[in-house]
Amino acid sequence: MGGVWHTAWRRLFFCGWHSFHRGSTARPAERAEPFLRPEWNGIGGAERGLRLLGTWKRCNLGARDPAVQPSRRPKSSNPFRRAQEEEWRRRNKTALTYVAAVAVGMLGVSYAAVPLYRLYCQTTGLGGSVVAGHASDQIENMVPVKDRIIKVTFNADVHASLQWNFRPQQTEIFVVPGETALAFYKAKNPTDKPVIGISTYNVVPFEAGQYFNKIQCFCFEEQRLNPQEEVDMPVFFYIDPEFAEDPRMIKVDVITLSYTFFEAKEGYQLPVPGYN
Amino acid sequence: MSTAMNFGTKSFQPRPPEKGSFPLDHFGECKSFKEKFMKCLHDNYFENALCRNESKEYLECRMERKLMLQEPLEKLGFGDLIGGKSEAKK
Repeated sequence: MGGVWHTAWRRLFFCGWHSFHRGSTARPAERAEPFLRPEWNGIGGAERGLRLLGTWKRCNLGARDPAVQPSRRPKSSNPFRRAQEEEWRRRNKTALTYVAAVAVGMLGVSYAAVPLYRLYCQTTGLGGSVVAGHASDQIENMVPVKDRIIKVTFNADVHASLQWNFRPQQTEIFVVPGETALAFYKAKNPTDKPVIGISTYNVVPFEAGQYFNKIQCFCFEEQRLNPQEEVDMPVFFYIDPEFAEDPRMIKVDVITLSYTFFEAKEGYQLPVPGYN
Repeated sequence: MSTAMNFGTKSFQPRPPEKGSFPLDHFGECKSFKEKFMKCLHDNYFENALCRNESKEYLECRMERKLMLQEPLEKLGFGDLIGGKSEAKK
């Protein structure tokens, strides 16, 4: 038993002790006597319990009764030992503080890891956003997966300031992965002035977007429509055959391709969708 | 959906097309081929596999009219449609 006792427990102990020797200002040796006796049953069990309860309430854990020695009294009277106990107590406190700080730090790091990892993936291009090696020879050699039919639906949108009539020419098309497909959109400029538009696209569901490859389309480049002109805009695409092997894509049967046209003005930054 | 601030979910990254953009067919030179293709799609309940010949012809029309870069058809995924035909396209 050194100075490593927690101070609160020691207070409790001393409180209990005082309940037995209420008002007693006897010296330590006399106080220790009842506990040192072999049979410590001077009082009946139940009575003792009641007495304990009664005196417990009156026992103020924080009070420093000047008549009684302070509860936070070091165990030893030797000054060196006392200093050592003080030192131990201080060290324990700092150690506890450090441990608590490390625990909180770990928790914080685990929360911060999520956006940090995303940043890392965006800068290095890992994490599934870049599909490896889609050269045209891959198209040559790809084999259509005939048992997996996917419906591709088409959607067309126009920014509010652009007055084109832009719509798909087919609502849906049934393709299989590995097969190239052609689809058409139609755009008409009903105004009397030539208008330049630029488009971007979106694929839903997002995870299927990495398998959706466009060989050629009409997006990301300025397209000029003369007054009252109507043109057909083709999209030539295919779905990567690896789509059929991705376990996350098992439930995906419908892919929606959505094009949005914006008006191209000087210095206009195309709002690329997604959290960039 | 793409503008929701979902921290941690993968966002969609649009990629530019592999062969770039189709120049606009301002004069409707290949419109008849397109009409044939659309009719085929309508007739076959929008099944792409049955209309690949028409799509091949549309792309060939574009290539002839310089509305598309010349590409061997195998590179466009029409290798099976060429079949026994001698490949003379450069």
